[in-house]
Amino acid sequence: MIPLDELVLFSGLLFSLGIFGVLTRRNFIMLLISIEIMMNSAILNFIAFAAYSPAGNSLLEVSGQGIAVVLIGLAATEVALGLAIVLALNRIIGSVDVADAMQLKL
Amino acid sequence: MSFDIPSIAQYTPEATVFIGVILVFMLDVAGIRSRAIIGGATSIFLLLAFLQVLADLGSWPLQGLSTLPAGLLGTQNGPVIFTNFGLIFQGIFLLSALLVALASVSEADGEEVPTFYALLSLAALGMLFVAISADLIFLLLSVEITGIATYVMVGYTRKDRRAVEAAMKFYIIGALSTAISFFGASLLYGAYGTTSLTAFRALPANSSLALVGFGMVAVGLGFKATLVPFHMWAVDVYDGAPASVSAFLAAGSKKMGLFGIFIVFVAAVRIFASAQGFALYLALGALAVITMTVGNVMALEQTTMKRMLAYSSIAQAGYMLLGIAIDTPAALAGATLQITADVLMKAGAFIVVGAAVGLGVGPLITDWRGVGHSRPGIGASFAIMLLSLAGMPLTLGFVGKFYLFFAAVEAGGYFTLLAIAGLLNSALSVFYYARILRYMYMPESTGSATAGAHPLSHSSLGVGNAPAAPAWGSVRDEIRGTGSARWATVVGIALLLLVLGIYPTPLIGAMNSAAQQFLTLGL
Amino acid sequence: MSLDEILFALLAGTSLVTAVLALLAREIVHTIMWIAILFVSLGLIYFLLEAPFLGVLQLAVYAGAVTILLLFAIMVVKKRIFSREAVTGIGITSVLLSVATALLLAGNALSLPYNAAGRTYPTPILSQSLFLDFGAWVIILGFVVLSALVGAVYLAKESRGRPIRAEGE
Repeated sequence: MIPLDELVLFSGLLFSLGIFGVLTRRNFIMLLISIEIMMNSAILNFIAFAAYSPAGNSLLEVSGQGIAVVLIGLAATEVALGLAIVLALNRIIGSVDVADAMQLKL
Repeated sequence: MSFDIPSIAQYTPEATVFIGVILVFMLDVAGIRSRAIIGGATSIFLLLAFLQVLADLGSWPLQGLSTLPAGLLGTQNGPVIFTNFGLIFQGIFLLSALLVALASVSEADGEEVPTFYALLSLAALGMLFVAISADLIFLLLSVEITGIATYVMVGYTRKDRRAVEAAMKFYIIGALSTAISFFGASLLYGAYGTTSLTAFRALPANSSLALVGFGMVAVGLGFKATLVPFHMWAVDVYDGAPASVSAFLAAGSKKMGLFGIFIVFVAAVRIFASAQGFALYLALGALAVITMTVGNVMALEQTTMKRMLAYSSIAQAGYMLLGIAIDTPAALAGATLQITADVLMKAGAFIVVGAAVGLGVGPLITDWRGVGHSRPGIGASFAIMLLSLAGMPLTLGFVGKFYLFFAAVEAGGYFTLLAIAGLLNSALSVFYYARILRYMYMPESTGSATAGAHPLSHSSLGVGNAPAAPAWGSVRDEIRGTGSARWATVVGIALLLLVLGIYPTPLIGAMNSAAQQFLTLGL
Repeated sequence: MSLDEILFALLAGTSLVTAVLALLAREIVHTIMWIAILFVSLGLIYFLLEAPFLGVLQLAVYAGAVTILLLFAIMVVKKRIFSREAVTGIGITSVLLSVATALLLAGNALSLPYNAAGRTYPTPILSQSLFLDFGAWVIILGFVVLSALVGAVYLAKESRGRPIRAEGE
């Protein structure tokens, strides 16, 4: 079995790469991908912690893996909705660059 | 750990709202797209759910109708727990959805009507689940129901470029906050071995992991609640979205974020404060004060009504966060009262702004010059809302702030400073609310005077008792301009603010006991 | 070092490298290709963690559906498909913020007290618990999917009438 600290270190690095992507990229689809990387690191964390959860916690025996299943569903749903927003936006302004779409003042 | 069918009776409000959603779908399939029918049906179902929540709370005429089994209150059932505090918030959430549903009946018919109402009901459904959650994953997933519904609602006009861009921005921020809070939840799962909120009442073996986890969940929910470092999106989204959706975001979905923060952190704050010392209270207090200060200062320099209201909404979030930063039953009750007041005020104010087009008023604050005279009903109601937002006595906004600051002074020591900061901020906010009032009750400039019935003499007479002065004819005009449902909602909100401001005793009593119970449960 | 650990090191390295490449790629199609490899190697890591059901789910949903959805999104936005979009916002703040996150989380991971042996869960138990113990989560996920479905169908549908141009500004 893989040691837990290596797994959590790995998912932490993946998460901060996602943060880096969100902060640096301006394209909507790139932002979506960065957020998916972050979601994936959360899912990995749940599975890793489930594999090492202390025994005897019968009520939530496999909850880490259960949460991971639910999260995969949630993330896919979000991407689908994001695609719908891309379509709606593309119909109006013909580009999906967040910088292009910065008509709203910050 | 049962979520079985026979126990469905206790979920009557949720079921009612969901039946409303299905009915809207069926009306859509039947080709009925009229706002009066679909909006009316949605409002009725939301109202029924609201009354059911009031019955569950045991409020006066309805107590016999409660569907909660005896002994259910306060006992955790798997991922769900019913508490009086949660039920009060269910009422608040349903109220915000109901007001928006009623007011938007007056907007134009179109193909988007069924989607708008279905999503509004679904968002309300998500908020209802948030209010009864006893499990972090359940909570975050419920937040996500509301989140996804509101992303689409922001862009529901679909042809308006600004609205769709606002939807895109809101979606990115929402998805980001979801990812961050789920990562935090995964760390908490690692620290505690479970995601049940009751488990978070103990200090785990690995408290640094839990602290980082709590921090990330706070960041994720802080985005929803527009706390200050994470507030940048709010102004753009509230500005770009249709006004009725802004009303729902400011009144409903933001309160959901605050409630999430309350139930996740009330236990955690105390445990970590006992382990790590006073720093946590200091940080929360600083966050609250920064949020209200930034909101108020930025609101001062806005020129458009919607952006001003958006910043003022951020400032209000700061006051509400004081409830958990002070962490006494009185402060929590005060924050709940302030949240109730803010739901009415913010929903009302955004609805008025949404009606502005029908009234022939532009988006700038200066466009509101003379509205108090030419539109007496809306003008007076809006004035009451603004006075309540500024915290003037005899309104509900005053009661909420008074209780909150009083609780801070009562807690003593460092918390007194929070009360002083809050008072100074309230004083600051009076400036920009008073500016609008000044414009509204200023004589219309001679050049742009529209109705010939407004000579200068009339206006100077009307300053004292503006609402009563003009003839009924202009009220009828006004109702035609805003639509009767919207007009009635706005006036009703204003009356409610006054009535509850003058006689808040039942509200205060209920909230005090609920907050007391909530804090002893630790959940 | 066991075989598991060597495989994990390889897969984790692949994942991190592909994630970096995906985020730095100039062409968005390349990003999608790197991201597909990232998803596949994460799925393989789930197999190593003896969570085969999740591994399959990861391969099907992420490496399959999500990647295709993203590709489709790019195809719809045709004119940008070969656009060379540079990494625009590499500033001090963004780098510092992500490095700070990494350090915070890494510090956390290294302080983990766990040394218990790992446990495995048979897939039948997982699937039973999904519909018994965690039924509430699945129901809530159902509502999430419902609202996303309503919204996505509505947003993606062609609307009648011309787009409204934003006034002013």
